[in-house]
Amino acid sequence: MRLTFKRIAPWLGLIFGIIISCGLTWFFNESPLHVLKILTTSFFNSKFDLGLTLFYTTCLIFSGLAFAIPMKAGLFHIGGEGQILLSALVAAYFGSAILPLDNSYSIIFSFLIITLITLAFGGLAALILAFFKLIRQAHEVVVAIMLNFIFAALTIWITVNHLQNPNSQNPETIPISHALQFLKNDFLKNYFDNSAVSSFLIIAVLSCIILAALEKKTLLGYQILAYGSNPHAASRIGISKTKILILCLGLAGIFSAFVGLTEVFGNTFQYKIGFSPQYGFLGIAVALLARQNFIGIIGSAFLMACLYKGASDLDLETNYLTRDFSRVLQALIIFSVAASYYLSNYKKTKSSIKIKKEEKL
Amino acid sequence: MESIYALLIFSTFRMALPLFFAAIGGYFSEKSGVAQIALESYLLIGAFAAASSCYFSGSILVGYILAALTSALFAQIFCILILKFKANSIVIGSGMNLLAMGIIPIVSKTLFNSTGSTPSLELPTFNVYLPYVILIIVVTASYWLSEKTIWGLQMKFAGEKKQALQSAGISSLKLQWQSLTISAMITGLGGAVLSTALSSNYSPLMSAGRGFIALAALIFAGWNLPRALMVCLIFGFCEALQIQLQSNLLISTYVAAEFIQMIPYLATLIALLLVKSKLSPPAELK
Repeated sequence: MRLTFKRIAPWLGLIFGIIISCGLTWFFNESPLHVLKILTTSFFNSKFDLGLTLFYTTCLIFSGLAFAIPMKAGLFHIGGEGQILLSALVAAYFGSAILPLDNSYSIIFSFLIITLITLAFGGLAALILAFFKLIRQAHEVVVAIMLNFIFAALTIWITVNHLQNPNSQNPETIPISHALQFLKNDFLKNYFDNSAVSSFLIIAVLSCIILAALEKKTLLGYQILAYGSNPHAASRIGISKTKILILCLGLAGIFSAFVGLTEVFGNTFQYKIGFSPQYGFLGIAVALLARQNFIGIIGSAFLMACLYKGASDLDLETNYLTRDFSRVLQALIIFSVAASYYLSNYKKTKSSIKIKKEEKL
Repeated sequence: MESIYALLIFSTFRMALPLFFAAIGGYFSEKSGVAQIALESYLLIGAFAAASSCYFSGSILVGYILAALTSALFAQIFCILILKFKANSIVIGSGMNLLAMGIIPIVSKTLFNSTGSTPSLELPTFNVYLPYVILIIVVTASYWLSEKTIWGLQMKFAGEKKQALQSAGISSLKLQWQSLTISAMITGLGGAVLSTALSSNYSPLMSAGRGFIALAALIFAGWNLPRALMVCLIFGFCEALQIQLQSNLLISTYVAAEFIQMIPYLATLIALLLVKSKLSPPAELK
């Protein structure tokens, strides 16, 4: 019973957060029920909408993993946003610079090379955090936020001054080479009426399952969990701090880079400035909602994607609410889910005290 | 030529103003043992509250007072979640930043029917000196409060050894609550400076990471108030330099604006790399 309540608590928190944020709209001359209806139903208006929601789900699974993996080791990795921007630009640049020959081997080979380069860039960007943490014990949050600003400025500069698409007024790079746009004929894309979704969804779901298995079945997984719950004790029994930090943050960077790949190779086939609606921060809510459970991230990412899709439709459907409402929604969900942890732990401590008392008797 | 240097010094102090307030705010929170990354949201809330209340009332003092009160009220969400529900301060802090960024455009759309900037204010002439007067009052008051009073000692003890405080019969919860509220009030004043002294209206996301820069200054200074203010001055100099460089035609043709804008953030990172590891954070900081 205790276990079930613990599992349910974040979801109760989620529902509470949605209710609060809908109630909040009443202060801004909107009908809460109307807002609730838009938030909860707009994701299956059409096949195209569902495809878009699944695209958001893909990105959110990756960014949720990017937050959840370091969280297992007790690290707050909120630098995902900068890594996403950097890796998307890298993917777009190499996608347009590498021109594969006209056979499928060459296309697959160049795709793999570009993927590897992009993932390496994402991982290296995240390793800067590990470097600061190891050398100077600097708090990873402050460093991550500074790096987010730096990467945002850097990507804008590179895009506008060096890679600007001459055929477009918008700040965006030239599209990736034609042969590499093979995901345009993706079976998922075709099924959902040419929506944004692509086969990266399958990679996202698979990586959640693989990570869940690795966490429980390998020594390394247990070492990370041990380090996360007590770094001092872990270093006493010989778990290397350097190894854990580099592994967790490197993996987080790689999954951030996957968001960039999904956008560039699965959706727009170019880098557009401002493409990311702060996936890096949405990922925090996704990971928290799932209590950093890798399988749970799939469900919570889908749920947050539905809510995000709903919130971005508020622009058109209401008079006073804007796209920014999705941030309010995220914040309130983070708050209520975080508070629900306390409630579930509170119940646990209370019952464990009871057990202790009974033992004494 | 001398006028450029004079301008640089003057604008160093001007750009450091919000950082001073935010760093003092961060000091009260971090010293009492609560990691504070929500400074950014208090700055934004303070800036918006000051700009809009100043617009409706026409008095700049009302703007400052309401900025402090609004951000103190806003911080109660943080206090309840951190102290009552024992939530993690980093998670809630980033949630607070999201909430501030999301709620301000909606309120602004309801009040002014635009999600962008608020209408610009007509400011009196004494407005040039007012932030410095308020800063001196705040610095003196917070130094006195943290160093010369029993409350200050107890507040620091809440950050160093909570149990010692509790065994003396003093509620650390209450102290942290008061300290966090003071922190938000002072940072809110910094927000008011941002929107009424550094510019004449509120524009979206105008804090531009200053809350985090102030936090980095505090960490760099080893959680020491006078030293933190000195570090803020250095970061203020970086921002002043950035503005000077951008307006300099010769340099801005060679160096892109994006790189010049990066200076404060890069300076923060370099500062963190150079920080002495001798200085240790408050023991209960989490």
